[in-house]
Amino acid sequence: MTLVRIEGLGVRFSTRSECVQAVDTVDLDIARGDHIALIGESGCGKTVLGMAVMGLLPKNAWITGAVRYRDQDLLKAAEPDLQRIRGKEIAMIMQNSALSLNPVKKVGDQIAEPLLIHHVLAEKAAHDEIVRLLTAMGFDEPERAAGRYPHEFSGGMRERILVAVALACKPDIVIADEPTSGLDAGVKSRILALIKQQMADRTLFLITHDMGTAHYLCTQIAVMYAGEIVETGRTHDLLSLPMHPYTQGLLASLPSAGLHPIPGMSPSPTHLPGGCRFCARCPASIERCSREHPPLISTGERLVRCFLYD
Amino acid sequence: MSRKIILWVSVAVLCAYIVVALCAPLLTPYSPTEITGSPLQSPGDNHPLGTNDLGQDIFSQLVYGARITLLYGFCAALLSVFISTSIGIVIGYYGGFADELVSRAIDIFMPIPVFPLLIVLTAFFSPGILTISLLMGILGSIHGIRIIRSQVLSLAQTNFVEGARAIGAPDFYIMSRHILPNVMPLVMAKFVSSSQRMLVMGVGLSFIGMWDTTTVDWGTMIQKSYTSGGMALGLWWWLLPPGIAVVGISLALAMIGYSFEEKFNPRVGVNRI
Amino acid sequence: MIELDKVTKVYTKGFLHRQKTVAADNVSLRIKKGESLGLVGESGSGKTTLGRIALRLIEPTSGTVRFDGIDLTALSRSKLRQIRPRMQIIFQDPDTSLDPRMTVRECIAEPMKIWDLCSPHEREDRIGELLETVGLQPDLAGRYPFEISGGQKQRVALARVLALNPEFIVADEPTAALDLSVQAQVLNLLKTVQKKTNLTLLFISHDLQVIGQMSDTIAVMHKGIIVERGTTRDVLASPKAPYTKRLVSAAYESEVWLGKVRESLPSKK
Repeated sequence: MTLVRIEGLGVRFSTRSECVQAVDTVDLDIARGDHIALIGESGCGKTVLGMAVMGLLPKNAWITGAVRYRDQDLLKAAEPDLQRIRGKEIAMIMQNSALSLNPVKKVGDQIAEPLLIHHVLAEKAAHDEIVRLLTAMGFDEPERAAGRYPHEFSGGMRERILVAVALACKPDIVIADEPTSGLDAGVKSRILALIKQQMADRTLFLITHDMGTAHYLCTQIAVMYAGEIVETGRTHDLLSLPMHPYTQGLLASLPSAGLHPIPGMSPSPTHLPGGCRFCARCPASIERCSREHPPLISTGERLVRCFLYD
Repeated sequence: MSRKIILWVSVAVLCAYIVVALCAPLLTPYSPTEITGSPLQSPGDNHPLGTNDLGQDIFSQLVYGARITLLYGFCAALLSVFISTSIGIVIGYYGGFADELVSRAIDIFMPIPVFPLLIVLTAFFSPGILTISLLMGILGSIHGIRIIRSQVLSLAQTNFVEGARAIGAPDFYIMSRHILPNVMPLVMAKFVSSSQRMLVMGVGLSFIGMWDTTTVDWGTMIQKSYTSGGMALGLWWWLLPPGIAVVGISLALAMIGYSFEEKFNPRVGVNRI
Repeated sequence: MIELDKVTKVYTKGFLHRQKTVAADNVSLRIKKGESLGLVGESGSGKTTLGRIALRLIEPTSGTVRFDGIDLTALSRSKLRQIRPRMQIIFQDPDTSLDPRMTVRECIAEPMKIWDLCSPHEREDRIGELLETVGLQPDLAGRYPFEISGGQKQRVALARVLALNPEFIVADEPTAALDLSVQAQVLNLLKTVQKKTNLTLLFISHDLQVIGQMSDTIAVMHKGIIVERGTTRDVLASPKAPYTKRLVSAAYESEVWLGKVRESLPSKK
């Protein structure tokens, strides 16, 4: 059962001097219980996509398409409706815990915030729930932790707090934006284990650039490049048999795969080439690639945006 | 939107003041000290703002007064900013003992209010305008040192300054080529706000009669109108113009300084999306 | 070539300097000429501090640092400055390692100007050469740092450092802030340059896999101490210290999925 359907989503930012097409006609279905990863590098538009779903884009964003959630188009919903949904039904684990937590509010209060705003629980019951959440997050002394401030915790602990904040109201779907950026290897694997455990019976939409994380947490992957989705498929299939040359290039540039670089650079979002956006860097490009813009081509369960599969 | 309008209006006002001060002789029919009419005349054909108790043309006084008032305001500010920038950069960059010493010294001197101190000093030593401007500059630089120093401290920690050290750049080079340009926006904002302070302080000092009262500037004009009964007699054309002139430029400078400080916020990084 | 002998760095904080943090504890390290040493450790291990001490950008609390036989720790400030061109550093954060108010051309020309390496008209040619070496288009020379990408900034940083023809480079997590594909480009560049000029390289990273690709030998650092040292192959295949074992197994775990996947990658890799 589809929980969130993203249809033809396009996001354009216009400043006085230029126009940036950050996301270009993206279609994505997130079904209940899915764990989907959106993989891409910086500038590909993945964070903008996540923000669009939450309705958190700034005012100068020009949004087209639809994001359907429970027969509502989130893009056209009024702010009060969106506020009801945010945190309660769709929650987000932001990246960079140092910036996402309020430094002058106690941790317990911040976790309680969504509970109280959405009138899920009264203050007293909220307190018990917070203790329960913190225990589930791995805090040894949840009572004391709730009374502390964010700066008293390490990066890993703060990330756990962010997870707790997101899960407080038991949302249907959790969007996680680079949940382990900036964390050491050991801490990272523990946080990922925590997220995996907590997401067991929830829907997860993971935004990341790290393929290892995507592999660990998600059963499906969508690869994004220059504002478009260029490949989708089940995790194991996509990673063992990447079809789009960009995905292949990404996998080959991993250190453990030998650090084979993809030549060239991603196109600037203000000057997107006509034709295939990866064409200039693609080792397998044919003449057609520079002329026509490839659509998403379906091969079995996979979708690839590449003429090689036409 | 309205902030931009405020900025442009203020800049226009400031330019107007400067132009007036520079072109004083072209704008006024009389010299400010010449006695050209009967005393205490109300505004009329010959004297757009009337005359003062000696028969001098108030309008000419106002225009010529701009020169001296603006001069000591801006010069003192320039000196103040020069001192605080130089000291701020040196102690911020080198740190260590010199930094500790100067910082403690500033801690001691900062609470001393500048204006009363100036009054005391000028009362004792009766210096001329130039010396007073010098003093204002020196005393006013104290606060600035601290502000500039803290910016320099954070700049000195940045990778590009460390990188400059790593490639073997001499210290003076680093301070002048790397730190100074990056501190300039702050320095300019400080200059504008200092000008405002110095100007108003200068007018205040001159009003109290701290220097030669025969000089014509807005402070002495206000003082004269006050002591020679201008206020009592309701001679608004004598008292108000210099007062409004002072308030006008003070406001203009304050507004410019305000929008400078806004602009000075480090460029908001493009969200990596 | 590079010798750190019983180097200790203690940071003190607080009133009367009572709180102490030991960043490096009696560390001794040797790097041979032309060798590429990878210094690996988690954040807080002291590796960044050690890298800077090796160039005496940070003063060690005790111990000596020798560069090509010269005792850096005994040199005066001005003599130290004279040696600087021979030993350079590349920083982790591309966004702050270039002066935002200088164009690319000015950044690269700076070391040449300071040390008077060539005449002004030769300079332009040299800048062009350096840009080419690091794989940047010559038309980038007039741009400001905020106009170019992270990967490009790191290349400019490298070009700047290469202008001095250094014999020793410390690379402090140069690609940690970069995307995967850009990382591969920059690291390949670094490897090529190192091999071509027989550079001595101290490569600092928290990523064991990257170090595995970049360095001949590895030193593992944990809480200010070097816990293991050896050739890359040996240390990765059979780690001896418990901390190293933990690092290696964590790295292996996170790449196990790639292992499963690697066999099926198209053979052009």
